[in-house]
Amino acid sequence: MDIRLNGVSKSFGDQLAIDHVGFTINSGDICCLLGPSGSGKTTLIRLMIGALAADKGSIQIGETIMPNMSMLHNIGFMPQNDGLYDDLSAEANLEFFGSIYKLGKTTLQQRITEVLTLVDLTADRKKLVRNFSGGMKKRLSLAIAILHQPDVLFLDEPTVGIDPILRRQIWDQFQAIRASGTTIVVSTHVMDEVLECDRAALIYNGRLIAYDTVPHLLDQTENGRVEELFLIAGREGGTDHA
Amino acid sequence: MRNLAKRVIFQTLNDKRSVALILIAPLLILTLVYFLLGDSDYVPVVVLDENAQTQLVEAFEAETLDVRLDTVDNPFGYLEDNKDVDAIFEATQEGTTITLREPSTKSSKAVREIQAALSALNPAADIEMNYVYGEEGQSTFDSFGYVFLSLFSFFFVFILSAMALVKERSGGTLERLLMTPIKRGQVILGYTLGYGVFAVVQSVFIVLYTIYVLGLTSLGNIGWVFLVMILMAGTAVLFGATISVFARSELQVVQMIPFTIIPQVFFSGLIPLDLIPYGLGNLSYIMPIFYGATAIKEVMVYGSGFSGIWVYVLGLIVYAGILYLLNMRALGKYRGH
Repeated sequence: MDIRLNGVSKSFGDQLAIDHVGFTINSGDICCLLGPSGSGKTTLIRLMIGALAADKGSIQIGETIMPNMSMLHNIGFMPQNDGLYDDLSAEANLEFFGSIYKLGKTTLQQRITEVLTLVDLTADRKKLVRNFSGGMKKRLSLAIAILHQPDVLFLDEPTVGIDPILRRQIWDQFQAIRASGTTIVVSTHVMDEVLECDRAALIYNGRLIAYDTVPHLLDQTENGRVEELFLIAGREGGTDHA
Repeated sequence: MRNLAKRVIFQTLNDKRSVALILIAPLLILTLVYFLLGDSDYVPVVVLDENAQTQLVEAFEAETLDVRLDTVDNPFGYLEDNKDVDAIFEATQEGTTITLREPSTKSSKAVREIQAALSALNPAADIEMNYVYGEEGQSTFDSFGYVFLSLFSFFFVFILSAMALVKERSGGTLERLLMTPIKRGQVILGYTLGYGVFAVVQSVFIVLYTIYVLGLTSLGNIGWVFLVMILMAGTAVLFGATISVFARSELQVVQMIPFTIIPQVFFSGLIPLDLIPYGLGNLSYIMPIFYGATAIKEVMVYGSGFSGIWVYVLGLIVYAGILYLLNMRALGKYRGH
């Protein structure tokens, strides 16, 4: 499913958080929302999911205009702070979220086995989450987000606070999920992670300052450093890529 | 909704402290209250003049008093010097004087026993007190025990639900939950049902323990007491959920207790509302514990049935309904639709 944003703006009181942002994420792509902390990445994700309504403009996932309750069946979401029940086991967390999607007992157990294998937590399925390491929590959080096989997956800063080896493993898992046809939107402030994506949207002060394929974006730099993109695009000002 | 309730139950069971808070803490505190406010076997020490008439001394000794004979020139100084003495009784031509250390339950007990001794000497002065409900000389626990039933059924469930929901907000689980196709009403009712199960068990524990172990009497059917306590606990879940909206951490929930719970204690029946000046007693109508405590008093003290408590039950239901709507509104901020 593709995602289309048309001139989206959102304010909180006097604060303009998202300023006339427009671009299209192609179906099956990994799109990176790249920008420094506080640039508006999380707000943009919350708008795309439908957790917030835009003040101006529109957001469409496939043919559905967001926010839309029934579209939540097709959306997977991994929040920044994991969103796990510490007093439950990994399996019980998955069973609970799976039951909300009404997966059916057999399908749910099958999917739990599949996602735990994917995130390499099969041996830890009975352990209470409060005994998990930070990395294990991230992987379980990802497993919950993909449990119901969503068409679109939103990952809010999934690798923040994660060591480089685990980060590599997590990105491998994203690539595996993408291979099944899922569109992935991932926010990050780690510049190098843009290299893992098909396209990147550069967000700065709530504005879209560049959106293109990663090779095209890197072609615009002198030294091939992602940070330069912010400097270059910042000089050019925000653009609408819808 | 059932799945959410099931999750709340399993999650709470996995946290032993929460289970202890709900099931053991109320019984422990009720037991303490029972001993603190129950019948005391304390024997007050009263000093009589050593030249007092034998008849007077015998009358005093016939009561639950430790009678000492001594010469007292300065009662105030004597009490200062003799910390174990509660009262000094002096009968002269001018009249009778009782000097006490300070206004306290010990002093009250000493005065009661002295009055009983004087009544024995002069039966015409013996005043018989009759009460429509309760009896003379019943302990403070017998008089106010019902208040603690409603207080505890509300307070511990409130603490548990407010803390749990603050944790859900700060930990991102509530945000994640509301990014699934679950309906907001299902979320609120799921939590209420989940904690409601603990509330039912807690109510059974508290009521049976209070009546059959601590000996608090109930004139009415304790089934109505169960009903009120379960409604109270359900309201407490919603009250806790509402308070959690305004708290960013568990600490902030604790900081709100003096503003939200402690005032309710004073309007729960410990103090007669018509004694509270400036019409402040009317504040009780905005306090859920008032409805629960009054209904429980109606059943346990006055022996009322449903006809005597329906107004308060309705009050609790309306209160819970308002809190439900407030929570629906609060959860709306997680969804743009």
